[in-house]
Amino acid sequence: MNDKELLPWLEKAKLGDESAFQLVYQATHQDVYRTVAFLIYNKQDIEDIVNEVYMRMWRSMDKYDPNRPFRFWLHGITVRLVQDWKRKAWRRIRLFERNRQTTCEPFDWTDNAVLRSETQHELFSLVRQLSYKLRVVVILRYFHDYALEEIADMLQIPVGTVKSRHHLALKELRKRFEMTGGDAYVH
Amino acid sequence: MSIDKELREELRQVADSMRCPPELYGRVQQSYQHYVNEKRGRSPMKKRMLAGIAAVAILIPSAVYASSYLADGIFGSSTTIEQIGGTQEDYQEIEEMLQAAKGKLTEDEFKEYVELTKQLMQLKLKITDKNGVKHEEKLTKEEQQQFEELASKLAPYFEKINGPAKP
Repeated sequence: MNDKELLPWLEKAKLGDESAFQLVYQATHQDVYRTVAFLIYNKQDIEDIVNEVYMRMWRSMDKYDPNRPFRFWLHGITVRLVQDWKRKAWRRIRLFERNRQTTCEPFDWTDNAVLRSETQHELFSLVRQLSYKLRVVVILRYFHDYALEEIADMLQIPVGTVKSRHHLALKELRKRFEMTGGDAYVH
Repeated sequence: MSIDKELREELRQVADSMRCPPELYGRVQQSYQHYVNEKRGRSPMKKRMLAGIAAVAILIPSAVYASSYLADGIFGSSTTIEQIGGTQEDYQEIEEMLQAAKGKLTEDEFKEYVELTKQLMQLKLKITDKNGVKHEEKLTKEEQQQFEELASKLAPYFEKINGPAKP
């Protein structure tokens, strides 16, 4: 379903129409879930954020400009919530670190499907090792196909910064890819 | 294959293998319900509570009894409520509810409960016309907010009162 078809349903869902909500969810949830899952690895956190994305969707519907693609707006919300979450998580971790001595908590990493993909997709496993700032650019560029200018707009950072992060990310990926003996024809 | 192409291809493949867990739907739907209720100005909890308050407010009675009545403490006198149509039995019912509250709450809790109920009743009286019909739109924004605040403050008391007797 494209953006135009989705709009009337979004309006209805905003007003409290349950079946419209269902439809909007069906049309968008895989995309939202995957976007979050590319950026955050803890399964519980992914679900929390997806839930949060929908809450935000209804509440900020008024700010959505129907002349712009809906998905761009939706991805903007998603990325901002992921970032908010990371900020909070960072604070939580610091408090946590202060309180604990040496124990190393095993994290509840994402489901097996992703882990399997990692072994099958070498490049993807390298993407997962990139720092968040680089990774988010890679995901928006190569998974969602946004132009660098659009990414800058979405992340609310200068285009130059996006360009350098993009460049750095690819450099990192190439370097590591060659080290792991990946395809020689990657240039 | 260039790294661009390969990245696109791999991310697409991996994405296809990632499935949003179906049980997440229930959770998102619940949040949505919450949003809808909030938008309409009342959550299910509030609804239940308002039903309880409505039992008091709509049926506001007109009996004149001795001032030892707890209900007098809230309504002042029966003339306040006569104006919106109520019977002696109704007043008696409210009185019983308050007595039950007194039995189940501690002294301080009961004082607070009566005070809150009193404030809530002021608002309730304001929006109820002489036939006992409510007009919520008569409230100003501040009053609506106050109304909700009172309702949520009263919620725990209602739970206690409707719950089992004090051991």
